[in-house]
Amino acid sequence: MSETPLIDGHNDLPWQLLSQFNNQLNKVDLNTLANTHTNIPKIKDGRLGAQFWAAYVPCDTQYKDAVRQTLEQIDVIHRMCQKYPEIFMFATSSQDILDAFKMNKTASLIGVEGGHSLDSSLGTLRTMYQLGVRYLTLTHSCNTPWVDNWLVDTGSEPSEHKGLSSFGKQVIAEMNRLGMLIDLAHVSEEVMNQVLTLSKAPVIFSHSSAYTICPHKRNVPDDVLRRVNETKGIVMVNFYNDYVTCSNTASLSDVADHFDHIKKVAGADIIGFGGDYDGVPRVPEGLEDVSKVPNLVAELLKRGWTDEEVKAALGNNLLRVMSEVEKVRNKCTEQPKVPVKTFFHSIHLNQHDSDTSLLI
Amino acid sequence: MRVLRSDMSSWKRGKRASHSFWKQSIEALVVFSLCVKISGCSDVDELMSTYPLIDGHNDLALQLRIRHNNCLSQVDLHNLSKVSTDISRFKAGHVQTQMFAVYVLCGAQQKDAVRLTLEQIDVVRRMCTEYQEFELVTSVQELKDSKDNGKIACLISIEGGHSIDSSLPALRMFYQLGVRSMGLTHSCNTPWAESSSNFYPVYKRENNSLTSFGKVVVEEMNRLGMIVDLSHTSWNTSSAVLSHSKAPVIFSHSSSYSICNHSRNVPDNLLLELKKNQGLIMVNLHNTFVSCRDEANISHVADHFDYIRKLIGAESIGIGGDYEGATSFPHGLEDVSKYPALIQELLRRNWTENELAGVLRNNFLRVFEQVERVRDQLSSKLPSEVQIPFEEAHNPCRLILKRPDPRSPSSDQSSGAEEIAVEPHQSCAVLPSGRE
Repeated sequence: MSETPLIDGHNDLPWQLLSQFNNQLNKVDLNTLANTHTNIPKIKDGRLGAQFWAAYVPCDTQYKDAVRQTLEQIDVIHRMCQKYPEIFMFATSSQDILDAFKMNKTASLIGVEGGHSLDSSLGTLRTMYQLGVRYLTLTHSCNTPWVDNWLVDTGSEPSEHKGLSSFGKQVIAEMNRLGMLIDLAHVSEEVMNQVLTLSKAPVIFSHSSAYTICPHKRNVPDDVLRRVNETKGIVMVNFYNDYVTCSNTASLSDVADHFDHIKKVAGADIIGFGGDYDGVPRVPEGLEDVSKVPNLVAELLKRGWTDEEVKAALGNNLLRVMSEVEKVRNKCTEQPKVPVKTFFHSIHLNQHDSDTSLLI
Repeated sequence: MRVLRSDMSSWKRGKRASHSFWKQSIEALVVFSLCVKISGCSDVDELMSTYPLIDGHNDLALQLRIRHNNCLSQVDLHNLSKVSTDISRFKAGHVQTQMFAVYVLCGAQQKDAVRLTLEQIDVVRRMCTEYQEFELVTSVQELKDSKDNGKIACLISIEGGHSIDSSLPALRMFYQLGVRSMGLTHSCNTPWAESSSNFYPVYKRENNSLTSFGKVVVEEMNRLGMIVDLSHTSWNTSSAVLSHSKAPVIFSHSSSYSICNHSRNVPDNLLLELKKNQGLIMVNLHNTFVSCRDEANISHVADHFDYIRKLIGAESIGIGGDYEGATSFPHGLEDVSKYPALIQELLRRNWTENELAGVLRNNFLRVFEQVERVRDQLSSKLPSEVQIPFEEAHNPCRLILKRPDPRSPSSDQSSGAEEIAVEPHQSCAVLPSGRE
């Protein structure tokens, strides 16, 4: 772990900052915060080299104030990095991650968790990229007007788009053009397959585990794992008990089983860590918080993983994916996407007329 | 003068190798000599080449939305029809910097104003990066460098506090996207500041034109280094801001109330406060604010300049044309190529080169520099965590997030969602959802 940064795909500390403290960072000391999986001493003990912090807002904000609330989560991540500059270095590229590692800081990136945060707007996607967001999880646990979520596979929600709508495909194309990682955690299986076909760049699962080991619809089936391997993406294993053992309890060894399975089915080059700390209520014995992750690394070595395989899982696989996504961005010379269909609506035109005199 | 200007333009464009070349050149020579003899229009060109214009307000972004749905691929910004602004005319008008407004309709307040504002910021950013004649700037130094590089600098301004949905984090994120000025209101009150217009019956209140949260917004803008713009705000709000702001403020597109008594204009008492604040009034060229009638001419506009200069000095004046945001402009000032005609008139009225250099750009630079200095002085201040009280925001689309119940079993993060208090459902989109 001293040679390769541990890069974790998903941590919900920002959600805890919102739900417990209303984003009042002035009232929190991350050095002593006691009731979360994540705090600064634990990050140090856990040798966390890089973290994608989730800018998550609940699905209930969809069609309401999701965009503003997402901006507030992006803001709290920025402020957290500004408040503890000796610990966190805000990062937006694979190079930044390496630079932070050399400085012994935790590279801090942002992932927006749920397409509802975009309010179906490519302009919003682009401006969020400008604010440093580097992955978008296409859904959380709700369909958006352009993509279906995992609950569709459980039967508890109807499919609205049979995967991606045509606008959804434009979102994928724009994400490739921008160099934003496409995150398939939380999406339906149909979406997984459609995106794996469509995307010009490798994709990620920021916090999902292996379906064969625990058949939960948040996990990734074997055929998809193989496709991720073919497209050189990454599946970052989630530690949540319910996704590890499909029950309320789990152990570190159970998590290692997921790593072993994915390696067996699709190779060590597509594995990563996506603990989902502070986003879940139950984590395995032996992995109670972010300080314990080195024990998982030790377990993998004990199980015969080579140093190279472990380093791949720790960080090299994610770095490879990110660099490739950056390369695809650099190759893209097309115009940015703007939906072809106009959004003109009678209300809009009436308001323009009445507002014309008031524009000034 | 108008006739002469148009001949000058055709002379500039007349470099076509053909039988008409010599004819045009001789005509131009005659015109040019007349021009110099009459009033020295070469002086204007020279003056404006040395001090090219920084204009405070242009709504091209709104026109791009209304006419083209922000599809830049459908237009050529070098030459646009049906609007008053394009790159060719900017150059002809000696416009070196334009503050582009990312205005969204007041009807979007309490709905999707934030998202719409992001889209307008996006179109200005794209416009200013896709055309090599433009350069997006976010600081005084960048602005000055853009002049040396022969570029037209783009500044981004928000027009109306409804764009931030009473959220300081949103304000900060807009700043990070390059926004360097915000008009506190458009023609609608926000929960924390009052507009000069009564058109929208929202957030009406008595004797509280700038609320405590409004003061916090101004403080955060000072801390960030974002210019506070008082065009469209009520006089009481303006006065309250002028007392509270640590940095100079601007009226990005407003004129003199004493010359034309429209509520969008600035009365003398506020101009005097502005002088103390060392701020800037950027004169609006729209007929209704210039002459209080449907028609106006350059002389009417120049009267505003003369009056304000007499009251508070030329160093307090700039130009905020309001092209694309208004529909009728004075004869001779129909579009952004026509600014030289206005400067010509001021020269004729014995404005000095120094005064005009100030009006054209130096006054704005001074204000912007001071705003940056105040930002630097406040650098040890932490980002504000003040939140508007829910009852003041009074917004049916504003969700309250409650603490998740630790006893409830569920999947990742949904433990939070189950306990959320959801406000009564209302459509929060200006436009229908589910659109593609």
